[in-house]
Amino acid sequence: MSDKITRRNFLKIAGAGAAISAVLTGCGPMSRYIVRRPYTEMPEYNQTGLNTYYASTCRECAAGCGIIVRTKEGRAITIEGNPQHPLNRGRLCARGITAQQGLYNPDRVFGPIFQARGDTSRQARTTWDEVIPVVSDALKSPASQIAFLLGTAPDHLFDLVAEWARSNGAPAPLRYSALASFEGRSTLQEAANRTFGKPALPFFDLANAEVVFSFGANFLETWLSPVSYSSAYGDMRQARPTRRGYLVAFEARQSLTAGNADEWIPIKPGSEGLVALALARLIAEARGDDVPAAARSIDPATVAETAGIEPAKLTELARLFAASEHSLAIPGGGAICQHEGLATAQAILQLNVQVNNLGVPGGVYLTNTEQPTTSLAEVYNLVQKMNNSQVKVLFIHSANPVFELPKVLGFEEALAKVPLVISFATFPDETAMLSDYVLPDHSPLESFGYQRMLAAADRPVYSSIQPVVAPLYDTRSTADVLLAAAAAAGSPLPYTDEVDFIQQMIVPLISAGGFYTAPEIQTFWSRWLQYGGWWVTEQGLDTDISAAPSRSAAFSGPIALEEDKQFHLVVFPTQLGDGAGANRPWLQEMPDPMTTLTWNTWVEINPETADRLGIHDDDVVRVTTPYGALEASVYRYPAIRPDTIAIPFGQGHTALGRWAEGRGANPAALLPAAVNESGDLAYNDVVASIALTGKRRPLARVESREGVYGEH
Amino acid sequence: MAEVSKGIAEKWGLVVDQDRCTGCNACVVACSMENNVPFTGEDNVAFGRGTYWIYNKRMWEGTYPEVAPAFQPVMCQQCGSAPCEPVCPTFAAVHSEEEQINLQIYNRCIGTRYCANNCPYHARQFNFEDPNIPEPMNSYLNPDVTVRRRGVMEKCTFCVQRIVAGRQTASAEDRPLRDGEVTPACVAACPSDALVFGDLSDPNSRVSQMAQNERQYKLMDELGTRPKVTYLKGGGRNGG
Amino acid sequence: MKHKKPWWKQPGIQIGAVLVAFIVIGGIIGGIFLTQTPPEQPIAFPHNRHVGIGASCLYCHAGATLGPSAGLPGIEKCWGCHQQVQKQSPELTKLAGYVERNEPIPWVPVAIQPEFVRFKHSPHVNAGLQCSACHGDLAKMTVAEAQKGQNMGWCLQCHKSSAPEQWTKLSDCATCHY
Repeated sequence: MSDKITRRNFLKIAGAGAAISAVLTGCGPMSRYIVRRPYTEMPEYNQTGLNTYYASTCRECAAGCGIIVRTKEGRAITIEGNPQHPLNRGRLCARGITAQQGLYNPDRVFGPIFQARGDTSRQARTTWDEVIPVVSDALKSPASQIAFLLGTAPDHLFDLVAEWARSNGAPAPLRYSALASFEGRSTLQEAANRTFGKPALPFFDLANAEVVFSFGANFLETWLSPVSYSSAYGDMRQARPTRRGYLVAFEARQSLTAGNADEWIPIKPGSEGLVALALARLIAEARGDDVPAAARSIDPATVAETAGIEPAKLTELARLFAASEHSLAIPGGGAICQHEGLATAQAILQLNVQVNNLGVPGGVYLTNTEQPTTSLAEVYNLVQKMNNSQVKVLFIHSANPVFELPKVLGFEEALAKVPLVISFATFPDETAMLSDYVLPDHSPLESFGYQRMLAAADRPVYSSIQPVVAPLYDTRSTADVLLAAAAAAGSPLPYTDEVDFIQQMIVPLISAGGFYTAPEIQTFWSRWLQYGGWWVTEQGLDTDISAAPSRSAAFSGPIALEEDKQFHLVVFPTQLGDGAGANRPWLQEMPDPMTTLTWNTWVEINPETADRLGIHDDDVVRVTTPYGALEASVYRYPAIRPDTIAIPFGQGHTALGRWAEGRGANPAALLPAAVNESGDLAYNDVVASIALTGKRRPLARVESREGVYGEH
Repeated sequence: MAEVSKGIAEKWGLVVDQDRCTGCNACVVACSMENNVPFTGEDNVAFGRGTYWIYNKRMWEGTYPEVAPAFQPVMCQQCGSAPCEPVCPTFAAVHSEEEQINLQIYNRCIGTRYCANNCPYHARQFNFEDPNIPEPMNSYLNPDVTVRRRGVMEKCTFCVQRIVAGRQTASAEDRPLRDGEVTPACVAACPSDALVFGDLSDPNSRVSQMAQNERQYKLMDELGTRPKVTYLKGGGRNGG
Repeated sequence: MKHKKPWWKQPGIQIGAVLVAFIVIGGIIGGIFLTQTPPEQPIAFPHNRHVGIGASCLYCHAGATLGPSAGLPGIEKCWGCHQQVQKQSPELTKLAGYVERNEPIPWVPVAIQPEFVRFKHSPHVNAGLQCSACHGDLAKMTVAEAQKGQNMGWCLQCHKSSAPEQWTKLSDCATCHY
């Protein structure tokens, strides 16, 4: 047979094939391959094809924004802000919007596991009936040798565990996440205590402020409550007909907040306290007030030189601050997370005192006095106790210390000395992998609960959490597990289950003057779920604030560096939060706002410095600090001091599922174990050196098309 | 260009206040979750194949230390005289006379990418791969929006599924649509209230009022594309 | 010079042609069977009997006025009547089995649109359209049968003839495709 005929034949058969496919697919719906299973019992509030909405609380960071989840046929589709919620007023950030990617993540823990510290030969799935006695035996250990490590959010689980610990003489549960450390929560609280005599997180009324000085507080991205502060930022800019708010940011690496500021003042890390005192002196002079005692010995010109900025600029800013109606100074982040962080935070808070901006719109208020987080120093004590074999049982919930804590702290080694480690993780994270048992809690979108204190709310708020979908897997609420185990251990709490506990806890709210009430708890409960929580209609901030005189402080100033050999190191959190967001593919794919980089870790370096050192974009460098080293690609970042480098936190996972694992590097390896006076990690003092490795690994950036069809 | 001089019918419009916009990218993610935009992975993003219906253009202005980024969220501008429409050989890029937006009809699209090449705003995104969303993560896919396959062009639709749903709800209740009743996902998410959406044909709507602002400008207006998106210049930012 | 057979007499060609003919005919028959006959249902539901005793379509497909999907009745709705109105029949025995096992009945939908079409029932029902306009006369069917020729031209024809004053809206691509 000749070639020609074969081809012809081939064409015929191909034509016939196409015709058949057309008949099969084109002429009628493929209906018979689809099966629909209607509800056996249609829920009253559900209608096929229509949306059902649930109000709940976002659990992706400790801020506690109210959310509305749109569900269809029992699936969570989209998440938006709860318009009535006093914190975020219908707004939401990228982390909350992608919470379904946590719920429906294929890498979740599907049921209770005997993890055997990662020993695969002994690992086995187990059942809840088998593990409840294990937890119950654990609770029978000597109370002082039981430790709980929970996430930062003050939620119902913390209240439950705290109550059990109180009534059984166990140490109070710790609440910690890396984010709280990067924010400087403990320092801020202690600074407020020393300045205003009340240990409460300050509330900064950004929306009504005219001039705002931010010292390291990246409130538009991660700090305390980014959604409510972003909302306030928008109002500060455009909501008032009178004057557009003016924002000045003092920090060495331009964060998103500094990028949006009208002026970015790149001061050396470690010089924030001195700059605050110099401003204090210049502001007092501009206002014709007495110069505060602490600032009398300060020479602004010398300070400007030490901080690496123009003296004239400092004077100009001080005059602006002094002349405006509502001038606000916000301390946060790296500025207060250094060895002199507490004094720095106080010096910055004192600027508000100087312009009498306390307890008035556009000024500083105080929220409630509950501890917003456990300081890192207390976590250190725990590690110490673990090392000394004084901890027999460690329970871990919504924290991932093996990943988050500085590596030099040796949490992993200390963990090995604890006889029983029980993790309640939803995901197989680094800490869960090294525990004896993983007893997965429901995902936040499958659970009941509440969150009590919201760091940036201007009134008393309880935000409610309710399941929006039925649990997907064989998971069980940790509160229920603990209640059952405590009952079996002979130290029961007076609650039948998690929901009963929550209801008993919110009973006092019925008569607490919120925006709704009810004759009894069941009616109250249904409204509580419907509205997404309970709050009061009026702003409820403490306006009666008086300040103690400023403390004199001698700041040692920034660390001296050897030029182009040593660099200040800035480690900053991103949209991945404390690293738990790394398994949400859309948070990975979302470009970092300032660099437009995705899916990886990078090292930011000023282009001038990079030129001097012969470093190009995408060159892999080795960053070394006295505490450790890592390798990552370089991003030449124009908005950073030439003597500073910066690395984002959150990548470098060795566990946590397919999207997080083996991606980037974890800067926890570079961080010190040192804490400041108030127990926050002193991460702003670190000096790093960099060296080219000769390797090159292009970063996935959105900003340019350099890599298109190219070499990546 | 006789057609242009006749004037363009106004319907849906969006105002982006760059003075409020912080560049936080919540809009990018909100859009992706609402519209089933697939994540593509590190390699694809590096190749310039990441899919973002709305992206934040970050432009550095000035030199150190007076350097600052200007953020400009860019999405399909829903041009009244759209460059993408006349070049489509299959009429997949068509103009909606009812809603006055540009549409992309996925089942007509054969992936020539002419429209994307002709779009001055880089608003059109091409699916180089089928979406790779493993079970059970596909559970969150929005059933109101088609999941696009490989070889199909896609772009911002002003969340037309929400517009149609809002219109049908209003019509079932026998009343006109209220201002602010329909909000695209990006507008609903925006933490700093930088995005405002509404009906430009109603002079009293919030979006019409804001589009009159003295800070207003249109992106590449000189091309005669008649965009439906109005930007308000950033106030004090360098050159913003 | 050797005489060469014309190409249509070559055995290879002839065998090939027969094969192609089989495939084409088989394809057509298969296609007609798969698309033009109603699919097999788990229970051969007699629509005609239910419509005949005066049951409204909306009694079982209640979603049609409310939203996009008309919905299928669950076992509780079937059993609501049939635990009283029981005649012994093999189909009702199947239903009793589903109820006993508390199992959803795996209905096979008949009138469905491709995934790029956003058909919604409520606007059509609210505009006064009768169910039979699209689904045929169910009083004459037992299990539901797919109606022929339900393509875009058919949609548009109805849109044009029933509401010519709304033609801009009803011919807009965005009304059905997004």
